[in-house]
Amino acid sequence: MQPVSPFESWLFFLGAAAFGTLFTHWPEWLSHSGEPDESAGVHPGVGNSDQEPETAEDDPSAESTAEPVQSFLDEMLSQSRYAILLRPQLVENLTPEQLERTRTAFTDAMCLVPEGDVLIRPERPFTAEAEGLHAGKTLHLAPYFLDRFPVTNAQYRHFVAAGGYEHMDIWDREIWPAVLDFVDRTGHPGPRYWREGKFSRGEGNQPVVGVSWYEAAAYARWVGKRLATDAEWVKAASWPVSIPGHPLLQRKYPWGESMDRSRANVWGSGPGRPVNVDEFSAGASVAGIQQLIGNVWEWTADPLPIDQSQLQPGDKTNLKTLRGGAFDTYFHNQATCHFQSADWAMARKHNIGFRVAISLSDLSPGDSPSSSKSEDEA
Amino acid sequence: MNRGTAVELDSMRLVGAGGIQCLVCDESNTADAETCHECHAPMVLAHQARNPERAPLMLAALGPSGVGKTVYLGMLLDMLSRQVGDMQLTARGGFSVNLQQTTVAALARNEFPSKTPSEPDRWNWVHGQIRSARFAEPLELVLPDLAGEALFQEVDHPRSYRIIHALLGRCQGVLVLVDAAKLQSGSLDEDFFTMKLLSHLSEVTGDRRTGLSARPVAIVFSKADQCETCFDDPAAYAERHAPGLWRICQQRFTSHRFFAAGVAGACMTKRLRGGATQSIPLRIEPRGIVEPFEWLMKSLSI
Repeated sequence: MQPVSPFESWLFFLGAAAFGTLFTHWPEWLSHSGEPDESAGVHPGVGNSDQEPETAEDDPSAESTAEPVQSFLDEMLSQSRYAILLRPQLVENLTPEQLERTRTAFTDAMCLVPEGDVLIRPERPFTAEAEGLHAGKTLHLAPYFLDRFPVTNAQYRHFVAAGGYEHMDIWDREIWPAVLDFVDRTGHPGPRYWREGKFSRGEGNQPVVGVSWYEAAAYARWVGKRLATDAEWVKAASWPVSIPGHPLLQRKYPWGESMDRSRANVWGSGPGRPVNVDEFSAGASVAGIQQLIGNVWEWTADPLPIDQSQLQPGDKTNLKTLRGGAFDTYFHNQATCHFQSADWAMARKHNIGFRVAISLSDLSPGDSPSSSKSEDEA
Repeated sequence: MNRGTAVELDSMRLVGAGGIQCLVCDESNTADAETCHECHAPMVLAHQARNPERAPLMLAALGPSGVGKTVYLGMLLDMLSRQVGDMQLTARGGFSVNLQQTTVAALARNEFPSKTPSEPDRWNWVHGQIRSARFAEPLELVLPDLAGEALFQEVDHPRSYRIIHALLGRCQGVLVLVDAAKLQSGSLDEDFFTMKLLSHLSEVTGDRRTGLSARPVAIVFSKADQCETCFDDPAAYAERHAPGLWRICQQRFTSHRFFAAGVAGACMTKRLRGGATQSIPLRIEPRGIVEPFEWLMKSLSI
């Protein structure tokens, strides 16, 4: 293990104090910093994206070709954990150069969605209860940042390599007994379709799939973020415009009112499998958030709004909402900003991934990335 | 149920001029009959298939009630009509679109289509032309959407449904659907149902001495989206979860293969008043739908 600098020790102490359980396993975690295996993961918005781990051998945990991590900051940035560094408790300890690097990483990877209203109105409510609950219901949301791209295999690999499946404090307590079941095809901790804890060759820049809602939530905590709420996802995609005295104007698709198959990887428009997260860029939202429609469904933080007592007892009733459609979504009306699907929170499907969010209020007020970017983005 | 002879004794019809044979049971019918007086198959099939030099290819999709035959066939037809892979289906006659239309329209509304009635004259039939680079000419295809209850009545009481008996004897390839979700839950009924069905099929189609049937049979685990492991290796899934079915396939059918298919990405089951339940698809993302059909076509060496 490399010597730990006073700055790292101090920063670590502050982090542990600020986020409690996040760094419970700090000795093991720090030991990772000395391994020469942590290259930058593939993330279109973060620096060093040219160091894409094309193969499982040269991915972040491999030992042969990756550059050694030079510092705590480098490691945090390479792991897409910049949001932690921008928390009020930590940001004051960064040098101007470090702060600039961190802010750049943040703004390259996340987009601001401004404060405002959003109308949650499923086109086809599954139940009368859902219709009553949501029909025409307008919610007011505080400003937040949402990932520009879905979380990739390479990004998620950092989480796996850092022992994310062993740090029980970042997992929901109710799921602790089941975490050991979250393994890949070869029995290693990780997404369902990986092998030996690694993704397949050439899939580093594809969205991670085969992860349950709980795995998505644990990853979000590990990078200092959270899953977007259902309403936040809809607002980022449909980009509501509020004109006083008139109904809220919301787009059916991020680019307009009708499906354009050249802008989204859905059934019949792509290769019939997930593609890299920076493809179909013409389908980006107004804020520049890509692949909200198509490629993979995205977990949101919320349960499906349904009266649980009406579900069949013994059925898989813990349903979490999904948004956006996937590469195999057959009907265009099910890959819109408004269509709400759901799946069992433990489901680890081939076409379900996620992206993460953070509230503006969770960042340092004076140094939030939004202070330099929000006007441009808005 | 309407299974009896329903043709009026009209003197003009007794003349027999312009009589035409039913495509399914070979019974002679008058030229203006809408359905066969013997088996109730739609006579439009016979009228449309009159000219081609080669008899139409006839396939059957079998399985218990609720296994998802209508959803599977409707989705298969819709995907073939959109040309998935190298095959394209073109319907012959408006009636051939009914199954596709009702199924796809229901699924797009996040509903499953209504249950197929037991009466043969209310079944949906498909008559279409399959085009493929592998065929020199378009191939005529006839495919009915049978009711599960009728099918099992025929299995339990042979010849109670003349149309099913005739169809099983005539069809060149068979799709057998098995509910993977029920198997996954440990239900043995599904295994027994399918064993009965395959046993009956081998008796109808197999060699009388050896009992072996050379007719290609694609065993399709439907609703596999509810048990993802089924997609990984359907044959291994059959061996683990439906040993009776697996064994009878090995012993009685020389040409068979297991497949996994799913139409809905996920479902939820809602309780209704009176204790009934309703399954609601949460999204539509077909998987493994066309593969069994393509395998059948290849197995038939057409």
